[in-house]
Order: sequence, then structure tokens, then C-alpha cells
Amino acid sequence: MRIHTVGIVFVTVSILLTAGCVGGDPADHENVLRIGTPMEIKSQNVFGDYNLGIFFALSNPTLSRMNENGEIIGYLASHYTVSDDNRIWTFYIDDSFFWSDGTPVTPEDVAFSITTYGEKIPSARWIGENLDDILIGDNYVSFIFTQPYTTIDLEFCSYRIVPARDWESIDEPLQYTSRGPYTGSGPFYLDDINLQAGILTFERNQHWRGEEPSIDRIEVHSYSNIDSAMLALERGDVDTFYRYAGSYPYTGIQRLEATGNFDFIETTNVGLIFLGLNLKSAPTDDPAFREAIAYAINYEEIIRIDALGYGEVPNRGFVPPSMEFFRDTPPLSYNPAHAEALLDAAGYADKTGNGYRQGKDGEEIGLEILIRSEYARTGELIADYLNDIGVRTTIKTVDATTWFTLKDSYSYDLTITRTTPWGMYMHAGYGTGYFDSRRTGQGVLHYLDDPPFLELCDMMRDTTDPSLQREYAWQMQDYYAENLPGIALYWNKIVTPYNTAFTGWKTDPLYGIYNMETFVNIQRSGA
Amino acid sequence: MHAIIYRWPRYLISLFLIITLNFALPRMMPGDPIANLIGESAYVSEATIQEITQSLGLDRPLHEQFTLYLQSLASLDLGYSYLLHAEVSSIIIERMIWTLGFVGIATLIGVILGVLLGAAAGMNRSQKSSQLWTYGSIAISSTPPYFLGLIALSIFSFHFGLFPLKGAPATGGILTWLHHLALPIAVLALFIAARNCLIMRGSVIQELHEHYPLYAKAKGLTDRMVLRRHILKNASLPVITQIALDIGFIFSGALFIEIVFSMPGMGMLIYDAVLSRDYPILEGCLLVIAIMVILANIAADILYGIIDPRIRRGE
Repeated sequence: MRIHTVGIVFVTVSILLTAGCVGGDPADHENVLRIGTPMEIKSQNVFGDYNLGIFFALSNPTLSRMNENGEIIGYLASHYTVSDDNRIWTFYIDDSFFWSDGTPVTPEDVAFSITTYGEKIPSARWIGENLDDILIGDNYVSFIFTQPYTTIDLEFCSYRIVPARDWESIDEPLQYTSRGPYTGSGPFYLDDINLQAGILTFERNQHWRGEEPSIDRIEVHSYSNIDSAMLALERGDVDTFYRYAGSYPYTGIQRLEATGNFDFIETTNVGLIFLGLNLKSAPTDDPAFREAIAYAINYEEIIRIDALGYGEVPNRGFVPPSMEFFRDTPPLSYNPAHAEALLDAAGYADKTGNGYRQGKDGEEIGLEILIRSEYARTGELIADYLNDIGVRTTIKTVDATTWFTLKDSYSYDLTITRTTPWGMYMHAGYGTGYFDSRRTGQGVLHYLDDPPFLELCDMMRDTTDPSLQREYAWQMQDYYAENLPGIALYWNKIVTPYNTAFTGWKTDPLYGIYNMETFVNIQRSGA
Repeated sequence: MHAIIYRWPRYLISLFLIITLNFALPRMMPGDPIANLIGESAYVSEATIQEITQSLGLDRPLHEQFTLYLQSLASLDLGYSYLLHAEVSSIIIERMIWTLGFVGIATLIGVILGVLLGAAAGMNRSQKSSQLWTYGSIAISSTPPYFLGLIALSIFSFHFGLFPLKGAPATGGILTWLHHLALPIAVLALFIAARNCLIMRGSVIQELHEHYPLYAKAKGLTDRMVLRRHILKNASLPVITQIALDIGFIFSGALFIEIVFSMPGMGMLIYDAVLSRDYPILEGCLLVIAIMVILANIAADILYGIIDPRIRRGE
């Protein structure tokens, strides 16, 4: 009798708990695109939450954007011009953009948004520090800077325009949180930020005058761990996977292929994984030593082990071929014997016969490789390669915040880190922002103060002439190839899987599939 | 009760020490909280960094920061998180509801299940089923909760499709919530039950070696009656201690389950705050947990007094 009672209770509870399983998948009946991501939203603040800011661009377009070919084109602005001295940038607002409440996007909205960024948002404070004046016309906004700025069109690809009337009463936008809805002017507006369920919901903007999207709603589902996100995609809970500047885990691709339900978009990442060499201390400040290290690394093995083959051996010129004005400099190659010969010739010999080399001061070289845990495997490989040529190394693994502090105080010899697509374009472009000693920032190494490099950076920043831009870009890649301030470890592929139930995906070098073109073009197969 | 009153100064001193440690520990960690406010690829001038540092009060000497911290606490103000853009107290309350919801239920189920199974396993050591529970408990309690969670997720959610992959639904009624929470609760409850089962089993075996169960049996009581009327009470003391000590784990240690099931609880909050050096959140969370642990210890002391007359009489 007792056993029966327990059994009945167990069955009843099981039915109740699994009740949600019956009734079929709601996705079958709704025209919804679901995106799975490990990019967690921590706060309902669209200006302050880094990940939310990226997703918010769908709702609130920027003045300019990057197209599939990596060219900067107008977005909210139909077109834009720059004065000969590169100080005055004028953006002409596309009159077909309407807010989701039915009112048109105005030059005042644009001026308000950019001013707000410049005054209130720390990461955009450079705008406030350099903006001299703003002129507002009937259909345009002119930004007058105190000094020449040649990359404003690129910079403005990341600042989302918000309606002035909604935001002007908010003194501190960084302290304003709201679940939504937010008035947007994109093809979809941000309707809801559900932090506890980890879901962003975008609804159709009924006043969107551009190409008509065929889907009704977009949901971004964030997962706290990548394994759950992968299972969710495979199970059909979400239709695609997105991670800014990152790929779907290479380990899961084969498994997805086996299901037959997914196709893949494969692009060469504009960002890359590289070895930073502290140029502020010996022996890594010696070009001959860096040259030897470059030959000691087995790039193909790193690609095979760390990227499971989804990468290419990089060139000495650092910059990947996916960037405009790529210059095909010689590829990096693995030749440990040559590396040892270079070290011997440069005076880093093993004089004591213990298998390890001494520096020019006579002391045994001991290099510390500073890494964050995500680069553990690559760090171990680099340590092995250097030990093989007689350079003693130790690995120091720290969390991201500690890494920021240690790299800012140059407390390391080597470090493994990455560039993001946006990072490759920042400053003078071509990864210069990571090396220029005059810069500060979370991910940058700022250890290069070689005058020719700094001069070249300044020249690149001073011109909007395409022919000069190309010439300088090539010079910069030649400089990298000759001096190796950073050694690219591999140019990786970004693999984005998507359910074959949807077609029409577009990708751009900055934000991958997360762009307006995708969301207006995407449709269910056969629709 | 006299003993409890006698211990109040000890609890107050503990609280002050905890507050001091809460303030000091996050600041002793390497890393600059400002770096996380800026972003990975952003350029920020030194002047801006100084301005942010000033606005957060991090440019003041440590003793001034500590005084301000104490003043804020005195007015029940836990501060403001510049990374999460909200008052610390409101963030903690929001997350606490989650944690209390799923960890509280899991703990309750785990404790009851663990005590009952452990008592049965202790009483009937030689039975195959008791041995099975014991081995099972050892296996489960020595498995990392993260791994246990992933296995459960893979089997019950992915392969059998019985549960969602996330612990929190977007909308829905009580059934939807239960459906989402069932698996994380079950995993955590299993883990807690396994630990308590082992403790209870050991405790029951120890009590069986005392004279009083023998005397009770001699009076003619059955094994079940001896267990229920005499042994259970005495054997539960170590479990009560364990639960009191586990309160910290209950609020923070469920982190791995929260990560596996994407649940926004206290564990995730603390984990993120550690990684981003969010001092106000860290201080607030640690303080709340410390107070909970102290309260749990007070409750354990009171329960001890109720269960064990010798403690009540101060023997």
C-alpha cells in the first residue's frame, strides 16, 4: 500500500514537472528567429552593458555601418562628407528612418545621442574631449572637431542613436535601467530585456520603411555556459549561434554537421590571436630575439591543436587578409634550428651547458608568459617551443582583471591575447591601437614607442585619401613584418552555424551575422 | 537560552570582523575595477580614468573609504554597482529570491531525503539496499556539482527532452516555473542529500554503540521505534551543524548549478563581481552571506538546546 502511494505521488509529480514538454514546440507556429549566445546580459542599461550595447544596434541603428565587403557606408545617414582638413564631418539623415512610435528620426536626435555619448559614457569620452561644435540643419548634422579625425565614419559605426525626447530627461544614462520597450528606428525595436530568463525580445518596427523583414520577432537567448548554448542549438531551441568576435566552438561543428539540420558560414576573422612581446624590457626588446621566437613557434601545430584546423598560418605582417588593403607579406614559418642559430648569433648562447641560454647580462633568460585561462593550451605550446630552443619559460595564469593590471604595468615578458575586429580598426587601424604607447585601454598592450611607427600612425590618422590610406596600410604591415612587435599565432575562422530552416544570412567583418542586412533578408526556407 | 545570550558578544565581534574583511579582501585582490568599466577596445584618456576613480571614491585613502563604508552600512546603504548600474541592495534582493527559491527548496528536499536515507542506511548497515545508498552517496558527493549538472542536463534535457535547458522561464505560471526549476533543484537536492546521508549514517552508527538504544530495545521497542524516538534526535546534531555551516554554500556554492542552468542567482552575482572587481557587490553579498551564516549558527545553537537537554542545562 505504501509502495503504491509513493508510486502515485512520484508519477503525479513527474507529470506536473514535465508538463511543459507536451503541446509541441511553439516555434513551429510563430515566425520567430531565435539566436543563442554565450554573451550574457548583466544589466538593463543599454549604454553601460557591453553585450546589450552590441545587440541594441538592431533596434537603434548607428550613423554608419560596415557592409559585407568591409566598406563603411551610411546607415541612419544616407551619406556623409568630410572637410578637406578632416575636422568637419557632416552626416545627412536618411528621411526614411522612423522611430517605432511613428515619428521621424531627426538631426536633433543624432546630435543629442552623440553628445550624450561624449559627455556621459566613459568609453566615448574622447568625443566630448575633441568635439568643438555641432551644427544642426534640416536634414544634416555637422560635427566639428578640434583636430583632424579621419575615422569618424568608422567610429560612428558603434554609437547607437536614441530618440532625444525619451532620453533628454534622464540626467545619468549610465544609471538608467529599464526592461523596455525602447523606442527604436531599426527594422525591429527592443521590446523586452528579461534578465532572469536571459532573453532579449525585438519586435517588428511597424514604421520601418526599408526592405520588409519576413520574420515577426527576434529573440536573443543568452546562456551562462557554452555547453548549454551548443545543446540548445542542436536541440532546436535556437536557430543560430552568435558571439561577437568569436566562433562557434570548433569542437561542436562535426556534431552539428552530423544532424543534417545546419549549414555554416565560415569567414576569416578580422581579429586574431597573437603573442605580445614586452618591448619595454630585455630580451624581448631586441628585434633579433623576437625574430628567433617567431621561428621557434610551430604555427601549424597551434592551429591543429587550438583551432582544430579552423585557421591559417599568418603572415609576418600581422594583419589578416580579411582587412582592406591587406599586404601579402612573407608567412611566418617554423624553423627551430634557424631560431637557435639566430639566438646564438645575437649573443644569447648557452654558455653554462645546462640547456638554457643566457642573456646579454650573463644571467640565464627566464621569460614569464602571462595568460588568461582561455589561452592555457596555446600558452603551454609556446612555453614548450621556447624551452626547445633553450629559453626557459614559466606560465602565469591570471583572471582578466589581473591581466589588465599586469599588462598595464608591463609586468610580463610574453603574453597571449587577441584582437577584436573593432580593435583592429581602432586608432590608426590595422591593429595599431594595440601597440601604440600613447594609448590606454582594457585590451591594448601600448608598448611600442618607436618614432617611425608613431609617425606612421599619425599619418594614417591624418588622411582620408584612399590611395594614401592604402600606401600607409602597406607600410604598416611592412613595419610589422620587419620588427615583429606582435607575432600573430593564427588567423582563425569564424564559423557561424544556422538552422537550414532559415535562409538569407549576411555577414560583415565587424559584427558577423548580427547586422541589419541579415534581419531584413532572412526568411524561413520555402517561404 | 542563557548560553545564547552569553554568546551575543561573540556574534557581534564576528560580525565586525566580517565587515572589516569584506572591505579589505576585495581591495587586496590584484586588478583595477576601473578597467572593467571601460571596455575591451576603447580608448580612454588618463583624465577620464582619474575622473571615474574619483567618482567611485577609489582615490581616497583606505581608512577614509572604510569609514564611508561603515557610515553607509549604518544607514543600511550597501552602495551602488557601477558595473550593474543599480543599487546593490536591490540587486541582491532580486538575486536572493532566486537563490532562496531554488536552493532553499533543494536544501529542504536534500536534508529530509539525506536524513531519512542516512538513518535507514545506518540502522540496516548489512542490507544490500543500505549499502547501495551509501555507495551512491559517496559517488554523488564526490562528483563536482558542475559535472553532475551537465550530465543531468545532457540526459534529461537534451536526450530525453523532458526539461528545458534553462532554469528560468520567460513567462508562464507555476507549472512552467516548476518545469524549468525541477532539474536544477533535483541535481542540487541530490548532492545535498548525498552529503547528509553519509553524515547521518555515520552518526546513527555511532549512536547505536551507546547504551541507550540497547536499553530501549530491552524495554521491548522495535528497531524502527528506537530509531524514531531516540536515535534520530541525537544523531541529527551533526546534520544540524552541517546545515548551519552550509548556509554559505547555499547562497554562493550553488554557483555551478546556476552556471549550468543559466540561472541568475547569488552565486553568479558573486562570481561576476569577483571577476570584475565590483567592490560594492562583493561587499554586499559577502555581508549578507555572513549575516545568514551567523543567524544559522544562532538557530543551530537554539536547536541544539531544544534537542539536547544537556546543552539546555549548560552541562
